[in-house]
Amino acid sequence: MQPIFDDQHNRRAFLRQGSLGIGALAAAWMLKQDGAIAKPPNIPKEEPTYDLLPKQTHFEPTAKAMISLFQHGGPSHMDLTDPKPELSRLDGTEYGGDVAYSFVNAASKKLLGTRWKFRPHGECGTEYSELLPEISSIADDICLVRSMHTGANGHEVSIRYFHSGIPGVLGRPHYASWLLYGLGSETQNLPSYMVLTDPAGHPVDSTNNWSSGFMPPLYQGTVLRPREPRILNLEAPAHLQGAIQEQNLSFLATLNRQHAGRFSNEPDLDARIASYELAARMQTAAREALDISRETKATQELYGIHEEPTREYGTRCLIARRLVERGVRFVQLFLSGQPWDNHSSIVTSLPSACKKTDRPSAGLVRDLKQRGMLDETIVHWGGEIGRLPVTQDQGGAAKHGRDHNGQGFSIWFAGGGFKPGMAYGKTDEVGHRAVENIVTPNDYQATLFHLFGLNWKDLVFHHNGQQQMVTAGRAAKVVSDIINPRTPVSSGEDNVAAG
Amino acid sequence: MFSRRLAPLILLLSCQSVLAQEPLTFEKHIRPIFRAHCYDCHGAEAELKGGLDLRLVRLMAKGGESGPAIVSGKSDESYLLDRIKSGEMPPGEHRVPDAQISIIQQWIQQGAKTSRPEPESIGPGLGITPEERSFWSFQPIQRPEVTDLTSLPPQARVRTAIDALILKSMPEGSAFANDADRRTLIRRVYFDLTGLPPTPEALETWEQDTANDWYERLVDELLESPHYGERWARHWLDVAGYADSEGYTNNDSERPWAWKYRDWVIRAFNEDKPFNQFVIEQIAGDELAGPQQGDLTQDQINLLTATGFLRMAADGTGSGANNAEARNQVMTDTLKIVGTSLLGLSLQCAQCHDHRYDPIPQTDYYAVRAVFEPALDWQAWKDPNGRRVSLFTKADREKSAELEAQTKPIAAERATKLAEYMQQALEKELTKYEEPLRTQLKTAYETPGNKRTAEQKSLLTKNPSINISPGNLYQYIAESKPKLAEYDKKIADIRAKKPVEEFLRALVEPANHAPETKLFYRGDHQQPKQSVAPASLLVTAPEGKRPEFAANSSDIPSTGRRLAFARWLTNGDHPLVARVIVNRLWLHHFGKGLVNTPADFGKLGVKPTHPELLDWLADEFMQQGWSVKQFHRMILRSTVWRQSADKTSGTTASFGRRKLQRLDAETIRDRMLAASGQLDRTLFGKPVAIKLDDTGQVIVNGDQRRRSLYVKVRRSQPVAMLQAFDAPVMQTNCEMRPTSTVATQSLMLMNGEFTLKQAARLADRAASEAQPCSDDRLASLPAIPKPTASQWACGYGAFNADTQKCSFSQFPFFNGNWQGGEKLPDGKLGWAFLSRTGGHTQSAEISPVRRWTVPLDGRVSIAGALHHGSPNGDGVQGRIVSSSQGLLGEWTARSGKAETSVSEFEVKAGDTIDFITDCRANHTSDSFTWTAKLTYSSGSNTVTLETDKEFQGPAESPAQIAGQIERIWQLALCRSPEPSELSLAMSFVSQQIDTFRSRGTTLPDKRTPVRQAMTNLCQALFSSNEFLYID
Repeated sequence: MQPIFDDQHNRRAFLRQGSLGIGALAAAWMLKQDGAIAKPPNIPKEEPTYDLLPKQTHFEPTAKAMISLFQHGGPSHMDLTDPKPELSRLDGTEYGGDVAYSFVNAASKKLLGTRWKFRPHGECGTEYSELLPEISSIADDICLVRSMHTGANGHEVSIRYFHSGIPGVLGRPHYASWLLYGLGSETQNLPSYMVLTDPAGHPVDSTNNWSSGFMPPLYQGTVLRPREPRILNLEAPAHLQGAIQEQNLSFLATLNRQHAGRFSNEPDLDARIASYELAARMQTAAREALDISRETKATQELYGIHEEPTREYGTRCLIARRLVERGVRFVQLFLSGQPWDNHSSIVTSLPSACKKTDRPSAGLVRDLKQRGMLDETIVHWGGEIGRLPVTQDQGGAAKHGRDHNGQGFSIWFAGGGFKPGMAYGKTDEVGHRAVENIVTPNDYQATLFHLFGLNWKDLVFHHNGQQQMVTAGRAAKVVSDIINPRTPVSSGEDNVAAG
Repeated sequence: MFSRRLAPLILLLSCQSVLAQEPLTFEKHIRPIFRAHCYDCHGAEAELKGGLDLRLVRLMAKGGESGPAIVSGKSDESYLLDRIKSGEMPPGEHRVPDAQISIIQQWIQQGAKTSRPEPESIGPGLGITPEERSFWSFQPIQRPEVTDLTSLPPQARVRTAIDALILKSMPEGSAFANDADRRTLIRRVYFDLTGLPPTPEALETWEQDTANDWYERLVDELLESPHYGERWARHWLDVAGYADSEGYTNNDSERPWAWKYRDWVIRAFNEDKPFNQFVIEQIAGDELAGPQQGDLTQDQINLLTATGFLRMAADGTGSGANNAEARNQVMTDTLKIVGTSLLGLSLQCAQCHDHRYDPIPQTDYYAVRAVFEPALDWQAWKDPNGRRVSLFTKADREKSAELEAQTKPIAAERATKLAEYMQQALEKELTKYEEPLRTQLKTAYETPGNKRTAEQKSLLTKNPSINISPGNLYQYIAESKPKLAEYDKKIADIRAKKPVEEFLRALVEPANHAPETKLFYRGDHQQPKQSVAPASLLVTAPEGKRPEFAANSSDIPSTGRRLAFARWLTNGDHPLVARVIVNRLWLHHFGKGLVNTPADFGKLGVKPTHPELLDWLADEFMQQGWSVKQFHRMILRSTVWRQSADKTSGTTASFGRRKLQRLDAETIRDRMLAASGQLDRTLFGKPVAIKLDDTGQVIVNGDQRRRSLYVKVRRSQPVAMLQAFDAPVMQTNCEMRPTSTVATQSLMLMNGEFTLKQAARLADRAASEAQPCSDDRLASLPAIPKPTASQWACGYGAFNADTQKCSFSQFPFFNGNWQGGEKLPDGKLGWAFLSRTGGHTQSAEISPVRRWTVPLDGRVSIAGALHHGSPNGDGVQGRIVSSSQGLLGEWTARSGKAETSVSEFEVKAGDTIDFITDCRANHTSDSFTWTAKLTYSSGSNTVTLETDKEFQGPAESPAQIAGQIERIWQLALCRSPEPSELSLAMSFVSQQIDTFRSRGTTLPDKRTPVRQAMTNLCQALFSSNEFLYID
């Protein structure tokens, strides 16, 4: 063991001198890593400490960041992304199979064919509905999964399954918290996991959507609010901003340095001094990142910011890109309420949800691509469930809608290592159940983690005497058919967590 | 980066070192690996997958359906190894780590040795091997020999056995760090025992105490403080999983009575309830309390309150999830709380299968479950409301009934009155109709609704005004409403006198209820297997001597299982309980446990750094009658605890110097409140409400200043400030808090509303309490910018119409407003005050006056508005009076506004211009605002003076400012500033005053540039490491 201790001593000395210009934060992190090497992190032998400093991945990642455009309510796949000619043929007839309904009072078994036309798009020829003209136009960049399955119809149940690994269970970390825990943060100026909420209000399941569950709040999503203050406590009250706060911080730094000088081997004191520096940097960085007036008119129009009804969602999509550009790891956009929950009047409510999101979503992918960022950035578009092929009878054709369907539905990805221009998996002939290449939210998590260079099984967090993982030990797989081929990766035998 | 490259190397080295040292044996090296990965299918259960049993080496060699699993000495030919290496085994996602695979390989290669001959036959299950049984935490507690303390040289500074045992563990020649200086020690003891800072006065008293035993007396005094119980209750409430809400479902409904358990815990610590008793009452208080005969006695109430411990687990069965899963989850969580808090074992890991690391068979889990099943029977469930225990006494009930009876005659009177009104209204209404319609309508109306004919119904529909009801009666007879309301009020007043029914959140086992406990296959309640009897853990008793608990006690109506369990825990022989408790106490005293996984004394936990000390403490704790306060005394008396944290002495060895401890979330908030003088030290009671602020953060509702311990713990709504500093968000319970250091904490301290508010209050407090700094000290300090000679003053006086002059006396007191004294009304000056923008009148003789003294000859015009906002009172009268020209204008404002313009007039240097407001006839509702702009030309210069911007507090002298800084330092940091610090702070304040003045920033109400600068100083101290960490 001796040589290694020597090596560590050298590292400590080297890091203190800061020969490579490594900041105090990085130094603190690397020093902490020394401890982590000696003991496997899955069995904490020391009082647990947590940080956000960059971590080594298990293998070479293809994705560095992710933007999730979460479509609350359950977009109607058979009207948008999953053409079902058989369903149209049987329109109005009784469905012979079993249906899992949520709202029995309005349940019917009358099949409801789509009211919209599908046609193939791009070189790949994937079929999309006329309701999504902009998304259709980037078909060749999209990896469409038509065989999602949560097995549960409820919104919260399935949302939590997607976000934190077990259907319906609260109190677990969002997968983005896991990403932060496993990867650390690239940016030292901005929170690395950001949530962009809708000005109209919180999404269904509210703040549970960005909870760090049993992990420390360090890994929790930071909400970028639609109005001022955009980030809580980021700015001082007006009368304390500018020179006054600089004086405050400088005075504080002097006090803290004098205090720290009295002690040795108390790294927490330095870390806290650094955290004030970070807080001050965040103020400038966040202001700059949110200022979309710096973008050209052409870019703004790409997102539909110049007109209604895309202005608001487009603005948030553009902010998401700006955040990722500045090193933010994960951004998730939420919608207020559930615009895709088309239980009634689907003929009008579905087109309206499409109009708000179609252009901004496609614009984001195009913009990332033209900037060369798409290769390393995953875009995810999708809800927690889809909708049933049968009519939810609300009295009269104009009022008809579709009930929840967790048995089969679509989501799509672009970039970050997902195969572009493909459609994967199938639902049955009417679109009720996923029947081929079924993908669950746990597979979704495993695949995302793989693209980020992490073995999800090996990324463990010690909680309540148990080793927790993002998939909660449930069956999961990396869906290798939908990701770009790569050099085979080692399966974690050289990874610390496996010890 | 390099960290990863090093990792495999280290693993390899560490494995090799194991290999080099001793030959591998099955029992010691292999079985734990199999236990973790294989036994679920190959040994733990009767059904063996593939017929393969891995419990004995010879059974492996024999193998299963696929032939021999191992070939001794030939790892290459061992099928088991192939299957593991290929990743086929174990099935599913888990893989055996490579380091462990290589150990298995080496072992086979070395001939698959065992430590002893294997038994001829083997019973069901995994059993417990001597190796497993020999794990340190299952060994009896053994009090070590401690060197005779008197034999040690004084320079070793060994005061207690604790010191002797720590010193023994330190490298040869090491010595303890010096004792911390007295001030540091006083501060440390205060925070450690009460979680609150000493007041500056207490600090001074103790610093100057010359008696030898000052320290012992200090410790004793603080142990007697009621705040001691608050502080140490909080530690226990963490591990008990205290919450004021039920969790589990989205509703997260409130638990209205959990706080009584919280208060019980506080009292238990304050009374120094022996810890064994503390445990027994929480586990089995209801069984001790005996049956209720008549009213509950105070003893019974206390005992039942204690069982709140077993009602802390999340429970969704009263909020929409009264199903089998949710009920079983309550049991699961309850057992987890019991296991982690008292046994220091992850008992919960044996719910679905034998524990993968520790010798806890699945049957043990269900044996413990059987202890709790009679009270928490998922098949005869009670929801949280159903479990409440009412505290209503017979007298309460009688009083209640008596009062209800008193309402009866009033209700009857009301009914009669109502009927009269209804009749009157009907008759009056009917007069509007001619016969025969009139009679038809009357008959239809008077026929009960369900007996009306279709014709009658239609008649009433067509003539809606006949449909008189109690609800619309007032539209016919207006006076009926107030009249009837009088009766309602009388009834409500009587009912308000009824005693309020309070409840306990308790666990009470029903009499004669002893359900069978079944082992659940894979933990699934839908797959019950064999019955399991209540018993203790196999491994905690010598082989073959496991105590079982009687399934049903004949002495008490309940089964007595929990009482037996609790007595077993505290019988003094239990290897875990005392160790677990003293380790927790040690952890809170030092910030680090002797076993730093306080809830896991098993294989996945860490081993004790000082096993002898742990055992000595555990034994001594029991010998001292499980007295927690005695234990504190013992720790606090030790040299180890008293060491300084400064780097100037001591060593880096474990406990060779004091480590800094960051304040807990609650203590940070409490300390700010204490420093600002705002802390409300009331003990006990209902939780303090929380709310979402307009940014969506959870904050403490309103200006509530109780200790953080009393802030409502809603699982789904953690208070942002407390959560940021690592207060637990209760899912089940909190075994140990992490200590995070993140920018969000910094932002919260820099910009958060709470910190800024407390900083302002501390600045105000210092301003009113500080003594000016002495001149000789002042001489060495940096200068403070001179207050700009103010031309404005705030005072009171009267306008004399004869002389056309105002009298003027300066207000004596400033707290942001100028007024007569600290509180209004002031004894002498009553309600009179002036604020930045307005004020309040008192009398003709005491009318507030805002006075401007003209600096240079020139010309002035005035524009402004006097506003009286209240709809009540007779309004106010404003006058502008020049000392040379007399009255310039007068205006009256009453529930409205008056423009107060004065066209240009001449002024001479030294003139005064007074804005005087009098109360007219009386001063009720006489709040007013009056701001004005003066356009003032002198020579070629023209300036605009605004009365609100010119408003100032008293000009603070440098001596006062320095004095305030000293006071702020004492209140915030519990010490006076060093000269260099005072000097630094003076420079800071001076810089800020300059910046505020030069920027002309509008400051918040009641903040002058000086006061704001002092506020910022307070805020910096609140954010400082010295404030957040205790040395």
